[in-house]
Amino acid sequence: MDFASLAAQLNAGAILPEVLVTVTLLGVLTIDLVGGRSTSRWTPYLGIAGLLGALGALYYQWGQANPTAFLGEFNADPLSIVFRGLVVIAAAVTIAMSIRYVEQTGTSLGEFIPILLTATLGGMFLSGADELVSLYVALETLSIASYLLTGYMKGDPRSNEAALKYLLIGAASSAVFLYGASLLYGLSGGETRLAAIGAALSTLTPQTASGAVIALVFVAAGIAFKISAVPFHQWTPDVYEGSPTPITAFLSVGSKAAGFALATRVLVVVFPSVLEQWHFLFAALAVLSMVLGNVVALTQTSMKRLLAYSSIGQAGFVILGLVAGTAEGYASMVFYLIVYLFMNLGAFTAVVLFSLRTGTDQISEYAGLYQKDPLLTLGLSLCLLSLGGIPPMAGFFGKLYLFWAGWQAGLYGLVLLGLVTSVVSIYYYVRVVKMMVVKEPQEMSEAVKNYPPVTWSLPGLRALQVGLVVMVLVTSLGGILSNPLFRLANSSITQTPLFQAVPPSIANSRL
Amino acid sequence: MHLQFFLLLAAALFCIGVYGLINSRSAVRVLMCIELMLNAVNLNLMAFSNFLDPQEIRGQVFTVFVITIAAAEAAVGLAIVLSIYRNRDTVDMERFNLLKW
Amino acid sequence: MNLAAGVQIVSFGLLAAIILVGALGVVLLPNIVFAAFLLGLVFIGMAGQYLLLNADFVAAAQVLIYVGAVNVLILFAIMLVNKKEDFTPLPRAWVRRGATALVCLGLFALMGTTIASTPWALDPAPTVSSSVATIGAHFFSDFLLPFELVSVLLLAALIGAVVLARRDYLPTVKEQETVFSLPERPRELITSDSK
Repeated sequence: MDFASLAAQLNAGAILPEVLVTVTLLGVLTIDLVGGRSTSRWTPYLGIAGLLGALGALYYQWGQANPTAFLGEFNADPLSIVFRGLVVIAAAVTIAMSIRYVEQTGTSLGEFIPILLTATLGGMFLSGADELVSLYVALETLSIASYLLTGYMKGDPRSNEAALKYLLIGAASSAVFLYGASLLYGLSGGETRLAAIGAALSTLTPQTASGAVIALVFVAAGIAFKISAVPFHQWTPDVYEGSPTPITAFLSVGSKAAGFALATRVLVVVFPSVLEQWHFLFAALAVLSMVLGNVVALTQTSMKRLLAYSSIGQAGFVILGLVAGTAEGYASMVFYLIVYLFMNLGAFTAVVLFSLRTGTDQISEYAGLYQKDPLLTLGLSLCLLSLGGIPPMAGFFGKLYLFWAGWQAGLYGLVLLGLVTSVVSIYYYVRVVKMMVVKEPQEMSEAVKNYPPVTWSLPGLRALQVGLVVMVLVTSLGGILSNPLFRLANSSITQTPLFQAVPPSIANSRL
Repeated sequence: MHLQFFLLLAAALFCIGVYGLINSRSAVRVLMCIELMLNAVNLNLMAFSNFLDPQEIRGQVFTVFVITIAAAEAAVGLAIVLSIYRNRDTVDMERFNLLKW
Repeated sequence: MNLAAGVQIVSFGLLAAIILVGALGVVLLPNIVFAAFLLGLVFIGMAGQYLLLNADFVAAAQVLIYVGAVNVLILFAIMLVNKKEDFTPLPRAWVRRGATALVCLGLFALMGTTIASTPWALDPAPTVSSSVATIGAHFFSDFLLPFELVSVLLLAALIGAVVLARRDYLPTVKEQETVFSLPERPRELITSDSK
């Protein structure tokens, strides 16, 4: 068997984006090894270039005839392409903001970027994995690389502590997930392909149903950990606060998007036979996440912790789309995740920039920033307002679509709760904006009084600036010109075979 | 020999692991409890592989992957425990409280 | 019941007793060094169970990797974190222990009844005789993707673990210069440096 026919049989072209990321990873590692520290001036840009190349490869994969690759291990359907794209963009922006950050903290970029790219690779494979073993390996690739990145600032006790907590809770939750996976393997009579497991579970008798529900609970615990839904959120604030800020951004967007890809695929493919149970389970997670995330965020004093709790609340909104269970529900979930990517990364880029210039991320230190750095203030304000769902930002339309889809599906209570909690969330987002914009010059905080002159000439800051501007532009224009994003989200659902079984509106029959 | 014997043993091992996970004070012991849980999962997979899937033995393949990843996780865990010990001079889980609420 | 089945049952019981006692020891013993050695015992007991389940290759891998690598790593961790640490007793720790014990017992009861009540789809065919060949064939056909991905994971874990555990992590630029000029320095300076 020659190589070409082997590649054709495996349909190896489907993982071209991942191959590009792997090659970039090895390239950065080797160049750093051979060339020494001086190469770190340009290896990050090589990393970004590789990720953009992967994004291009993803674009050309859209709508290919045969998405199944590696004998059913991997599924490159439009759903996976959207989620892989999200992970790749998150990684690229994360590299752009970490160049200066990592240099300034005195650690080395040569290892940081390969580990980040490994996490990206794990997230990408997780979005498309169609089989339990691949799923688990991809999940662990993402997780282990994330533990390492969290603890990367090893001189900082907070970073150590965050890494230890993340590792212990993460490893425990992946063991729980794995126990559920082993039950699935047994219940299906020795199948590991998700579709085959789903088919085997659909012939459930009352005796096997309890086993399926227990497997569901164990698997859901692993998923809820990854998307940091309450009550599996305890690690989130600590890890978000202790990690290097660019990594916090990656965890809150890239890792979370991969978690939602995992959730969608596993729940839709494997558990249609216990549909009511998983809808109930995830509705409960959504309620708890929306309430706890948004209420506890009110009391935060650190910007990173505020964004951590807000991301828990946002996860609650996204689960709403998952629970709706209709094609619109899934499409609104994808749409909101796309919008969330841009607004959250924009906010984090601004936070990184502020902490680079002042060395703090306390909310009170942002007072009066408007006078010293209008661009940063504008970008952060727009992103926060969008996260709060103020029109005409992209976040408003994302929430609107989510709530509309939920209402259509008959989830009246959840939607009302979502509306109330997003009003609560507007309060704490606007509080930060008010702090920056409204304060008189004499009310300025110490950090802002000593604000260094705004300059973009230091190495790495230019990339950060570009990232910030792009994210803010998409966030603010994505609302008015939301059609392309909207079409992308919709067609990712309608063109994905696994959703063909989903009726356009399950809810009508349920009512 | 019954499949259920192995599954019950695995369930018991898993529950012991969970108990230790919650109640251990030392970070190293928490790592050990996670290894116990992973071993319980492995026993589950191996039992299913032998009794339900004897021709393809996918469960054994799965177990090999789990063993590999558990080793990687233990190595990373050791590295993190070392770096935190160097900074904080303790491995007591109750005293890792720089980050709270 | 023939002799072979009897031997199997007895060895299963013995191994299960070793595993459960060992695991309880890992969790409950106050001395962490004993706990680590008992963990090794649990791993060896698991390898015995795998042999009962007709899995020779995985049993060997279990001994090599779990006992040989993971357990040794944990022992190293205990030695490197080499401090006799007397944990200050928490107030009302027994409440937490009791509650967790209850929860775990409940979990076990739930899992046990499910396991006992589920009609597993048993396959009477004999297990393949050469598990190594079958596993190898799986690695290079339908499990190729995770097999390759695990290599990237191991690489990243290796690099990351070295980065995190290395002691003086980033020499400042000045120190680096002296490192490069090491061959020209007098010998005693080197020895006093290397301490």
